[in-house]
Parts: sequence; C-alpha cells; structure tokens
Amino acid sequence: MNANTQDPRALAERLVEFGKRKGASDVEISIEETKEFRAGVRDQSVESLQQSDSRTLSLRVFVDGRTASASSTDLAQETVEGLLDRAVARARSSEQDPFAGLPEKETLAFDEAALRMYDPEIASFPAHKKVEAALKTEAAGLKDPRMKKSLGANYGSAEQTFHLANSRGVSASYRQSGVWSGCYFQAGEGDNLIQDGWTDGSVTASGLMAPEAIAAKAVGRVARLVGARKVETQEVPVVLEPTMTAWLLRFLSECVSGFAVSRKRSFLAGKLGEAVCSPKLTVVDDGLLPAGPGTRPFDAEGVPTRRTPILSGGILQNYLLDTYHARKLGLKSNGHAGGTTNLLLEAGPASPEEILRSVEKGLLLTGTLGQGTVATTGDISVGAFGLWIEKGEVAFPVAEITLSGNLGEILKSVESVGNDLELRRAVSGPTVKIASLTVGGKAAKA
Amino acid sequence: MRRVERRDFIKVAGTGLGAFAVSGLFSDRLAADRVSVPGGSVLEAQFGVALEDARKVLEAALSRGADFAEIYFEHKIAGSLTVEDDIVKESAEEVVHGAGVRVLKGPQWGYAYTSDLSLEAMKGAAMAAASVAESAAGARVVPFSPQEAGRRVYSLEGPVAKAELPAKIALVKEAYSAALAHDKRIIKASATLLDEWQSVAIVNSEGLLASDTRPQTRLIVRATAEQNGERSTGAGSAGGRVGMAFYGQEGTRPRDVGAEAAREAVTLLGAVNAQAGEQAVVLGRGQSGVMVHEAVGHPLEADGNWKKTSIMWDKLGQTVATPVVTIYDDATIPGFRGSLAVDDEGTPTRPVTLIEKGKLVGFLHDRLSARIMKLERNGHGRRDSYRSPAIPRMCNTVLAKGETPPEEILRSVKRGLYAQTYQGGMVQGTGKFTFSVNLGYLIEDGKLTRPVKNATLIGTNVQILKDIELVGNDMDFFLGNCGKGGQWATVTAGTPTLKIRSMTVGGRA
Repeated sequence: MNANTQDPRALAERLVEFGKRKGASDVEISIEETKEFRAGVRDQSVESLQQSDSRTLSLRVFVDGRTASASSTDLAQETVEGLLDRAVARARSSEQDPFAGLPEKETLAFDEAALRMYDPEIASFPAHKKVEAALKTEAAGLKDPRMKKSLGANYGSAEQTFHLANSRGVSASYRQSGVWSGCYFQAGEGDNLIQDGWTDGSVTASGLMAPEAIAAKAVGRVARLVGARKVETQEVPVVLEPTMTAWLLRFLSECVSGFAVSRKRSFLAGKLGEAVCSPKLTVVDDGLLPAGPGTRPFDAEGVPTRRTPILSGGILQNYLLDTYHARKLGLKSNGHAGGTTNLLLEAGPASPEEILRSVEKGLLLTGTLGQGTVATTGDISVGAFGLWIEKGEVAFPVAEITLSGNLGEILKSVESVGNDLELRRAVSGPTVKIASLTVGGKAAKA
Repeated sequence: MRRVERRDFIKVAGTGLGAFAVSGLFSDRLAADRVSVPGGSVLEAQFGVALEDARKVLEAALSRGADFAEIYFEHKIAGSLTVEDDIVKESAEEVVHGAGVRVLKGPQWGYAYTSDLSLEAMKGAAMAAASVAESAAGARVVPFSPQEAGRRVYSLEGPVAKAELPAKIALVKEAYSAALAHDKRIIKASATLLDEWQSVAIVNSEGLLASDTRPQTRLIVRATAEQNGERSTGAGSAGGRVGMAFYGQEGTRPRDVGAEAAREAVTLLGAVNAQAGEQAVVLGRGQSGVMVHEAVGHPLEADGNWKKTSIMWDKLGQTVATPVVTIYDDATIPGFRGSLAVDDEGTPTRPVTLIEKGKLVGFLHDRLSARIMKLERNGHGRRDSYRSPAIPRMCNTVLAKGETPPEEILRSVKRGLYAQTYQGGMVQGTGKFTFSVNLGYLIEDGKLTRPVKNATLIGTNVQILKDIELVGNDMDFFLGNCGKGGQWATVTAGTPTLKIRSMTVGGRA
C-alpha cells in the first residue's frame, strides 16, 4: 500500500507506536490533507488554473524533557520513519527543558456538525462555475470607468482534513472547507496611481458574497482613493474602518501571544489582570463560533479550543497560550497552539456614521503599508492611506503619509466602538475611533 | 521583503539536520564541480523517475492543446536549531519532496503538483494542469538534450546541512553566549542556525533537461536589552550558499553575529522617536539595500510590466533616476544568499542591468514574461517550492558603488535622518513603498548624534530615484526573505551609503 494514499488516521497512530519503539517517551503526529482549486482571470480571460491534492505530516518527539520536531510532504514509509528516527536522535542531543512536553490529556468532546466547519457543496461546485464567478466579478468591476486596469479577479476553494494522534491516547480529526473570491483594480492618473480591491471568504458556498457585491466593494475602495495627496504632519483623531481594526487586533494578538510574553518581547508581559485598556473594548478569541472562518474544535496539539476573553472591563484577562508557553508562564494552555481562532472586538453602541460625524479634523484610516510594529514596546510606525475628515465629513483622500503611535496608548484612548461588526474573517472588528495619533507628511508650515 | 520571524524558520526558511544520503553517482558528479548535471541520471538517481516517464507526463500535459509543458522536481532537506534560555530549545527537520507540472497556452497557465512521483500521480497532475487549455492536441515533446553545465556559483564543500550535530550546536551556542555576554543590559537572547540542501531538476517540452544542487545557510541572533524598564530588540545575521567554513571567517563568526544583535539592542536603549515630516535622509550601506529591493527591484520584475500594472511598464529606455544611479541584479555572485546557477525554470543565470546611469534598460524575466514581451529570458524565474509556478523574482539586487566617501555624504546634511537597520519594507505596483527603520540616528550639522527608533520611510519609486543625490564609494549587503504572491525567495540586496534629497519620515510630531 502506498504511504501517500493510506488512511492518515491509521498512519498517524502507527507512527506514534513506531516513535515509542525508537525510544521516545512521547510522540505527536499530525497529518494535514488539503485539496485546493484556484482560478485567476484578468481582462475577461482565464489567466491561471491551479489544482492540488497534498498532504503534510508534522511530528514532535520528547525524550525525557528533550524535544525535536520534523515535517515532510513525502509520506512514504521510509521517509517518515527516517524522520522519526533522526528526531529521536536530535532530541537525545538536546538538553532538558522543564516546560517541554505534550499537553495533559483532556477529553475531546465536540459536535463537529454543530460547528459547521465543512460544506459538501463546495466540492461539488464544478470548476467552470468557479471560473465564471471570477469572470463575472471582474466584469462587474470593470463597468466602472474609473477602474483603469484590472489586477485580476480570482475564485478559490479548499477542503482540509486535520488528523492528530499522540502517545497520551489522543486520536482525533476534523474537516474544514472554505471558498473565497475577490478582485483588484488600479485607478488614477499618470504616476499617481491607486490600487486596492476586496476578497470575500466563507466556510460555506452559499455564504459567499455575490460577484456584483464583491465588485462593488472593491470598486468603492479604489475609487475613494483616486487623487490622494499628502497632508501636513500633525496629531489628529484617527478612525479605523473595520479592516484596520482587524490590523490592530493582529498586532494585539502578537503582543498577547505566549511566545512574545514569555520572552518579554511584549509590552503586555507581566500585565495580566492589570488595567491596560478602555472599558469600551471587549476582545475575545472564540474557537467554537459556528461557521466562523477560524473555528476549530482543538488546536495543533490537541487541546480543546474555547472562548477566551483577552480584554474586558479595561483589564487584560488572558494571554493566548499553547502548552509550552503556558507552563513557562505558570499558566494553563487555552488551546492556542497554531495561533488565534476567531479573534474579534465586540461591537459597541455607535454607528460608523455617528463616529465620523464626531471628528472635527482627522483621518479615516483605510490601509497601511509595511510592517512597522514592535511588540516589545507596542510602537507603531507604518505607511498609511485613508480619507481626510473635516467637520465630520470626508474631505479628500490621502496617501504617502505615515501613521505612528503606541498600542498601549491606543488601547487606553479608544473613544468609541462602532456597531458594524461583521464576522467574515478570522480576525474582525467594527469601526473604532482613537483619540489621537501622529500623521506624518509634508513639513508643517512655519 | 521582511525579516524572518520565528514561524518562518519552520514553515518557510526551515531546514534540516544531518543525515542525508545521495546516491554515489550523484555525489561524484557534484564533486566534479559542475552545477548543472547533464543526463537523465539525476531524475533516476535523485527522484526515481525514468526520462521516458517524464516524457509521458509532458505528453499528457500537452494533450489538451497547450503549447508548452514543464515538470519541476524538487527534493529539499531543511534544518533548524535554536538555542534559547541556555539550552537547545528547538531542532527541526523538514523534507520537501514533489513535482509540479505547468502548462502554458499563450499567456494562460495551468499548474498542479504532487508529492507522489509515480507515473500515475504525475499524469494526474499533468491532466489537471492541462485543463487550462481546451482544444485537441497541442505542441509535441522535443527529445531531451541535457543543458550544458553552468558556471559554479556555490561551493558544495562542507555543507552545513551535512555537518555533525555537535558542531552545529557549538556554533549556535557561541553566537548565543556572545550576545548575552556583550553587555550586562542584555536580558535575553536566542540564536538559530538554518540550513538547507535542495536538489532540483527541470524538464520541458522543448527538450530542456537541467538540474542544480543548492546549499543554503543562515545564522540569526536576536537580543533583548533592558534599562530602567525600557526594552529594545536587536538582530544579527550572516549566511549564504556557503559551507561551515564561512562561520570561521572574521566578521561572520558566530560571536560576531551575536555581538551585532546585542549592539543594536543596546544602542536602541535611550533612542528617541523620529521627527515626522519631510527631510533629508541618508541610507546607510548594506541594510538599506531593502530600499533598492522594494523601490526598484519589485517594480522591475517583468510580470508587473507585461501586465502593465507596474508603474515602470512604459518607461523602458527612459531616464528614471539621477545619473549617479546604476542598478543590476546578479545571481552569479559566488556563495550569496540569492545566487543561482540556473533558475527554477532551468534558465542559466547572468547579471542583468536594470538601470544604467539613470536610464531604465531592463526587467527581470521568467519564461512567461520573456515570451509575452518577446525579450530574452535572464534567469529570474523562481519559486517557493514545487507547489508553486515560477514567477519573476530578484536574486542579488545591487545599487552600484559610487564615488563619494560616506563621511562627505554625512557632512552635506545639516539636519536629517540616518537609517541603519530595518524591520522590512513593502511596495505596491503603483510604486508606493514603505520601509520600517529599526535603528537610525539623527544627523545634526553633518554628524550622527542621537539614536532614533520607530521611523518609517515612505515614498514612491518614481520620486526616490530622482532624489538620490549622492552615492557612496562603500558597499555592503542585506540578507533577506522576500515574499511575493504568497511565495518566499531568498535574496540579498546591496547598496553603498546614499543621500536622498528629501523623503517623508514617519515618527512622532
């Protein structure tokens, strides 16, 4: 029997036994199987079709508190047994780490159907329909004369099965699906070009936005930035639209990760239980949200996921922890091996229009460019795009500006939280208004 | 381009340890100092695939009307070894093994891959890729003729990937200890050694049969300093397509890399925020190569130009920069992180001039862009792995040395910012870019004064090329991992000290 086609669950269980026989005190094997399809179109013709059916095996071994890991895209018996063999040898050459090891066994009880992670419709939706959807999306966008150039539209779908087995008796799996479609355009004159677009995603085929709706969203995002200019350097209130709130949440998740906190590479290290933010902010990571884009019943090491409050009532409630970093911090894993699940800022009372109207002069942030975030200090300094707000209304688009501030200060100075939360991405939040940030641009007039 | 974060060590740049055997035949050919190994033996020896089967797969790929088909075979062992908290904290080995089939029909392409190299599985991938074309039979497969051996671009002697584990552990510990010992304000350090041993073979329907064996290694150290409750982080790095001997050389010894990380972290203690606004900026040599990479390199990758989405597509032959600016990409620099003997489509590499004394003269091509633009391929088709088709990418991108001594460049600035190290940068097709400066200095009356943190440089490539006023007579290189379209590539970027007349700097007002 070809190892590349055999039952992954049986293979994982067999390899756990093999690792034990080779001298490992503990073994963990995971196998990810992915079927993926991607179609790309540009200027109303098919540009690319990609298809794959692949498997990746990952393993960890522990020998008396010493550890080693490995992975392979080749699941042939001799390859994976060789990998396990060498991993045990490497672990023996390592040193004891008091925090290393598998999680304590917890009962994995979940209702896979209720989590709605998988839609069989996606597999049966034929390729040519997916191509048609991408063509339709692009065509709808190109009807707008301001869209000078298409950067392409796409449609993709994937099905993934994750299996995990370890030497503490865990052997479990779950199946996920996903579908996404988007389009991107360039607009503007001469060398002052703008590019942007939109991609929607869903766990279920029927949950995906219609081609016309995706195109309208993309066109709106491009058109509003045409003719963007710089502004003078100044400190102003900044409104984050939902995608930008998500950007800030991703930085926050880095700062509350056990990885950064245990290494003191986060300004939030040592702040658990302390007042760190405005009471207006409630941030949670919820792995069990039905049909959520980041939903999964257990994490990469078999720990059940849950709803984990991060910020609420102004207090830092929890870090995002896997087993190793939890032990290191004297805490307990909350199912975050492999990262966040559905990370979200809960909706507040204000409508986005109300929030904009409250700004006398300031920036509606719509995009950032570059990294420029430092978890150690919380400092932020990035390139930015957006709309300049005067007297509560959009005045003109801005680009080639920079935005700087500090996440610690931002969390405390949130003035309002919008009611426009949509759960279409694994990290999401509503519109948010921050009291003041530095916008860098032209030299201020003397 | 961005600096490697931890997860990338494992997932992207991840590499392997020790025990890796190749067939005797293959080893002999490597020892014979040739990088492109001719003959069907590579497919047989390394991948267990007969040439006749490769031909059958290509025929299947062409069966629905495509005009070109290609198979890329890859076997890579990658290792990583991390010392942290005074112990060997992590060691990993990654095996990447498989083949990707691509078909072209005019500007259209189809791609499918498999990690199972049986004839049946590869034919399945070929048929899936072929579906982009929808007519009867397409082009015919030309009989294979092995490509001439290329020039030697990297030494296969004493590779890190095959070094004994204890030697590697000692190397990483030396770097780690050097960072901690450098200054009592260093409270934490980590050091990671990455290594890679990649074999590739490429066959196509035009009869091409090429192969390459590529070593890669990198040592990365991170250090955190603390003083009066304030923390800062610095990094040091060295590596290339080199062997263990590289880490014995002055300047790239593990202790040198450790000290580099510690120095940056300590210098950042007490650094002030940058002054926001437009000002003169001096880009320090070496790491400022990230500017050349983002602002010049990406917009000159030919895919954005045949699609007319890059700001540069209509500027070939025009003056786009000041006359002091000459920029080229050279994949043949021996032992460099971005070097290649043949690219991932089997095209032999050569130096490519992009901007000559201010004039735009060339683009970086893969097969598809060269065919559409009717220009010559120049060895810049690269891919992350067999799971992705090749696209135009940079290798080692260099802004050529100028004539002004760096001190003279500083003296010409009354007040401005000096950028020394970076967290990374990003560019859009519109030419708008940002770089995040990790460590900089204020320039006051022609001298470097206080260290500066959290500066962002923002601009457009069209503008910055016209604002490069002075080019230093020094030179250094930056080692990077460049992400584009979800694919990663190992690159370097080099630059002398540069003076930019005026740039927008982000910081505090």
